[in-house]
Amino acid sequence: MKLMNKKKLVFLVAIVAIGFVVVRFTTSDRQVDFSTDVKPILNKKCITCHGGVRAKAGFSVLFREEALANTESGKPAIVPGDPDASELMRRISIDDPEERMPYKHEPLSKEEISIFRKWIKQGARWGDHWAYVPVKPQTVPDVESPWIINDVDKFIYQKLEEQEIEPSALADKATILRRVSLDLIGMYPSKETANKFLTSNDPKAYETLVDSLLASKHFGEKWTSMWLDLARYADSKGYEADHERQIWEYRDWLIKAFNDDKPYDVFLTEQLAGDLLPNPTDAQYVATAFSRNSMNNDEGGTDNEEFRVAAVIDRVNTTWEALMGTTFGCVQCHSHPYDPFKHDEYYSFLAYFNNTRDEDQPPEFPVYKLFNDTLKQQLNKLVSWVKENSSEEDAKEIKLFLQTSQPAVYGSSTDSIKNGFISGNNGPLALHHNGSFMLKKINMDGRNQVIFRYFVLQNGATISAHLDSPNGPVIGKWNVPKTKGTQLGTFEVKTDNGIHDIYFTYENRAFAHDEEQDRIYIEFVALTKDLPAKGTPAYAANKKIYWKLLETPQDNVPVMVENPKDFHRKTFVFEKGNRFTPGKEVQPGVPNSLAAAMPKDAPKNRLGMAMWLTDQKNPLVSRTAVNRFWEQLFGTGLVETLEDMGTQGTLPTHQELLDHYSWKMMNDYKWSMKRLIKEFVMSATYRQDSKVRDDLNEKDPNNKYYARAPRLRLHAEQVRDQALCVSGMLSDKMYGPGVMPWQPAGIWMNPYNSESWKTSEGEDQYRRSVYTYVKRTAGYPSAITFDGSQRIVCTPRRIRTNTPLQALVTLNDSVYVDLAGHFSSRMAKEGGNDVKSQIAKGYEMMLYKPIPQQKLDVFLNLYEKAVAEFKTSDSAAVAFTKTVGKTKETPEKAALKLVANAMLNIDEVITKN
Amino acid sequence: MTQKELNIQKLLNEARERSLHAHTRRHFLKESAMGLGALAMGALLGSCGSRGAASPTVMFDPARPLLPKPPHFPGKAKSVIFLHMAGAPSQLELFDYKPALMKMDGQDCPQSFLEGRQFAFIRGIPKMLGPQANFAQRGQSGAWVSDRLPHFSTVADEVSFLKAMTTDQFNHAPAQLLVHTGGPRLGRPSIGSWVTYGLGTENQNLPGFVVLTSGGNNPDAGKSVWGSGFLPSVYQGVQCRSDGDPVLFIKDPDGVNRDLRKASIDAINNVNKQEFEEYQDPEILSRISQYEMAYRMQITAPDVMNINNEPEYIHEMYGTKPGKTCFANNVLLARKLVEKGVRFVQLFDWGWDSHGAGANEALNLGFINKCRSVDKAMTALLLDLKQRGLLEETLVVWAGEFGRTPMQERRDGAVNPFKGRDHHTEAFTVWLAGGGIKKGYTHGETDEIGYTTVSGKTDNHDLQATILHQLGFDHERFTYPFQGRPFRLTDVAGKVIHDIIA
Repeated sequence: MKLMNKKKLVFLVAIVAIGFVVVRFTTSDRQVDFSTDVKPILNKKCITCHGGVRAKAGFSVLFREEALANTESGKPAIVPGDPDASELMRRISIDDPEERMPYKHEPLSKEEISIFRKWIKQGARWGDHWAYVPVKPQTVPDVESPWIINDVDKFIYQKLEEQEIEPSALADKATILRRVSLDLIGMYPSKETANKFLTSNDPKAYETLVDSLLASKHFGEKWTSMWLDLARYADSKGYEADHERQIWEYRDWLIKAFNDDKPYDVFLTEQLAGDLLPNPTDAQYVATAFSRNSMNNDEGGTDNEEFRVAAVIDRVNTTWEALMGTTFGCVQCHSHPYDPFKHDEYYSFLAYFNNTRDEDQPPEFPVYKLFNDTLKQQLNKLVSWVKENSSEEDAKEIKLFLQTSQPAVYGSSTDSIKNGFISGNNGPLALHHNGSFMLKKINMDGRNQVIFRYFVLQNGATISAHLDSPNGPVIGKWNVPKTKGTQLGTFEVKTDNGIHDIYFTYENRAFAHDEEQDRIYIEFVALTKDLPAKGTPAYAANKKIYWKLLETPQDNVPVMVENPKDFHRKTFVFEKGNRFTPGKEVQPGVPNSLAAAMPKDAPKNRLGMAMWLTDQKNPLVSRTAVNRFWEQLFGTGLVETLEDMGTQGTLPTHQELLDHYSWKMMNDYKWSMKRLIKEFVMSATYRQDSKVRDDLNEKDPNNKYYARAPRLRLHAEQVRDQALCVSGMLSDKMYGPGVMPWQPAGIWMNPYNSESWKTSEGEDQYRRSVYTYVKRTAGYPSAITFDGSQRIVCTPRRIRTNTPLQALVTLNDSVYVDLAGHFSSRMAKEGGNDVKSQIAKGYEMMLYKPIPQQKLDVFLNLYEKAVAEFKTSDSAAVAFTKTVGKTKETPEKAALKLVANAMLNIDEVITKN
Repeated sequence: MTQKELNIQKLLNEARERSLHAHTRRHFLKESAMGLGALAMGALLGSCGSRGAASPTVMFDPARPLLPKPPHFPGKAKSVIFLHMAGAPSQLELFDYKPALMKMDGQDCPQSFLEGRQFAFIRGIPKMLGPQANFAQRGQSGAWVSDRLPHFSTVADEVSFLKAMTTDQFNHAPAQLLVHTGGPRLGRPSIGSWVTYGLGTENQNLPGFVVLTSGGNNPDAGKSVWGSGFLPSVYQGVQCRSDGDPVLFIKDPDGVNRDLRKASIDAINNVNKQEFEEYQDPEILSRISQYEMAYRMQITAPDVMNINNEPEYIHEMYGTKPGKTCFANNVLLARKLVEKGVRFVQLFDWGWDSHGAGANEALNLGFINKCRSVDKAMTALLLDLKQRGLLEETLVVWAGEFGRTPMQERRDGAVNPFKGRDHHTEAFTVWLAGGGIKKGYTHGETDEIGYTTVSGKTDNHDLQATILHQLGFDHERFTYPFQGRPFRLTDVAGKVIHDIIA
């Protein structure tokens, strides 16, 4: 009965809708909307010749002031209010192919021409692209249906009604349990959680399940996998040798942040500017490794500045693409041809990132030392002592130096190098006897201590520091102790106020004629303030701790550290994107078209930039986040192009829904990611059945109205984690350095790099995929085959493909064959004595439901065949089951393993249903 | 086929068509109201009226990403074998004969060659280094080839030399990326990926783009030189190995024979068909056909990748070493692969970085061995393709990522212990053969010491444009939308080198 009523209602609505459409297009005073009516035609038909880069005949339709300006003919092409006086109207309506626009292309349709006519008549008003307008609260559609569970459904239902499509009923318990578990924690829940849900009659059972999944520690692991693609996280630096990079602390920071439901605005602020927060914690520093995931080039002979700039550009592009769904990269070379961003504005934005201490150094300076608890206590004590005896500012400076060795000048960044060269992989400065170099414009106020990180080959070397010229007054002299490897050394200099160039001259007379043995290698030089209260016992005691802190190796992670004032780097526009043709100087700033979101009190640095990003008036950040969370759950974003919400991206299928939740996320949810996710998975839309009904094939083959749940091939990580789960092998261990599950030999073959893949032992073989070691130039093969990203640059969206190589992974990769063995043991152990019930049990372990008889028959048939085959060959059975120390294995055991291997390959297992 | 099977086949095809239609519209027309697709197609069709005739469009169909597709116009070449000597061999010891440089041997390099230039390793004032090989003119064409390549000297009349090749990257990784992806940074698709995206693959039982490496290391830029960049990952090169599984995971697990594998794939597909009947999702059908294809690939690939069954005279001709990983084996495999319809075979042979910092890197030691290890095989490749009538439709390219300096390297300000040269961007030699390229022709010229070009200057983008042209693509119209704009292999540059086209 209800259904009938609904159908009638739909019909009625449809009649009204059709009527409305007719009215809409026949009434001449209908208000034309620039963004939805005009801009699409301009972009599609006009802008290639009459836009940003090209403006043929002096006519551009990129901005209103350009479109209304005089063209080469001396007259404007558009006269607001007067279509008949507008050259544009004449040119799009005329028959002569030499004059008609678009030139040499299909003429515009009658509808398109009439849209232009009305638009000009109505004043040729410009409008902003939807995604650049601040998010406003939305009215939830007033629709009713017993199908509706929450607001998500109201927006979805409204469109379905318009399209005369019925939504689908809710999926069965087994399906939804597996679906929501894979979505929220990327794997299967505990047996208890699953059973509780499957057997409960409580109407709130699903919500209880969702809450327990959201509270699971595995939640953070799953969502971190997603974020690592955006952050282009890897355990190696990239480029030629692709050496290891220790940055897993950042991955662990993400897992904790997701598990703690760190509000998204804080989550972003800490990653972009954690180092600039007042008294940043260790964790806030670690978060800034987000930006340090850009690649580092250690190849011999490369120009560090070139790759420093490449890294900065990568950070700008990542910030825009990952966090604001905008392809900002275009603006690197010229003004955006379609979106309101000007060429200069790219470099203003780049200026936010252009003043950090990293300079493509092989040791990845600056790295942040994560002191153990004992050292941390000593550090804090030392810092408070400095504060008491000197100033808070000095205390901060010393703390920063102990944790990051910053600010320091790297050997390869020194000036006026005489009788020396940049050695090896673009790292240390090497000086010969009589060599010298200079540190430019150093603020010497109170600085009386020089610290070198260096390596000298022979005894007898000396270094002198001179003020302002190589022959200037000597302000310090150092007999350089011979080293074993690279270490720290220090000497005192006379302090002097103001900015000075400091020259260092190096001598080793005894080896003057040996150009191999006379050398010193200098990694960095720092001019710092010594501890206060010199001469007192407290000074001596603290100085000892100071050196202990500096010299004790600790876990560390590359982080962002801002340049101090005297290290300030100017930023210039690169003409046509070329850094060798610098244009005008620019200051940090955001594009004018989005400047309204900049808080008044925001500082002009990365912290200010983060404040702008997370301001309620920023139109892009919340929308991008909501769109991405939706995509993770529904397979396709509300805007399909996650990377581009601009005018070149696809239009949202449900803009009001997107905006409603963008608003709610910022306001009602206080940026809570878990609350947003919960709302989505609680909806009927999410919980629907996924069958492709016949009518849907006709009306909505791409499921853009969401009348059913999507069926999606699992992500690379989920494919493996799921196999780990059902085989019972998954390790619960969290955090720490990347692990190396089995991979075929010969995958790592980088020149100038002796690192190798050493298969992890014990449970580390069976850790979740988020912990698998990521080498940029040689990714984990099975993950790459399943469309895992290479982590070279930010990957805002993985495109799912379907290839035979994927089948080969799950059929033959030793990892999957091994897991099939464990899975079959579990089936045999928990499935009773009968092979039928064992197979049925296996199916249930994977899919939470009883196996249909027909499928059971197929697997039984396979089992029988396999038993017969293995009966003919003991060696085959032994080989397949990897039985050690026996010459025989029961054919049944081998056969069940083969069945388990097949079961792990069926579509319903590889797919999230 | 039984009636039932036929029905399922019909069902499969229909559903595929439906899904193709849907996907096509989804990705290229309807959904992208303003554009990505429209832009891509516009670019392909020639926007702004600069190109007249409509041409077939390249589209990405996730359900059948490797379907054979026609190029813009009929190309002379059907497939490409790209021999990359990773490390950059010295043109001055192989093809670019400079007697004048001999006279300057041992003299200080004139300041004018050093000013405003940046070298990878040379510091201070280096000495000039004369050719470390003897040269002679070869064949009818009279092309100069040194005695380091006695075999290749006999086929000089088959090839076109580009003697004035240039690049703007003087480090291996960025320079190799520029050769293969059109840009010096990681993240862009390699030429083989572009070609596979554009043409699909002829032989569905083999990967469309195969990579073979030798010399003990992967190329300096790693797997990105055959990566798919922003193209769907299905277009990345598949690294085949002559040691271990020829294609990763292609071998059935120990103890599982072909019958059992067939039985298990049949079982999987049977269950998947039941699944399809219930859910009607065309993606399931796609998975069924991928499993069928995987099964066939398991038979075809190891067969093609096995060189043991080749006749003795072929082994002799190539100088293969069965059972080992070497360049000669890879060259023979390349021939077998193109014969079976593989579109793009990319070979990398590592170890050509003749700095002179060690014996292996010495022009008068290690370099000679490297030449020996490739000479016979690359010569055999041309002759073998020719005798099979395949040379006309197979484009063979031989290149390094840059050239080498006419000066002897002086690393970190000290003279290197062995004869060697530093990286050089301003001049090097590349040769091409077959696939509609002129025979016995030399294009471009360098100055009298081989330092810089004087005429016929070409660069990587020109080379890429030419390769694409021979395959039937206009490189300016062959684009893919990414980061808000249509990207192409040749970035914003590249001119087809018409002078070397027959």
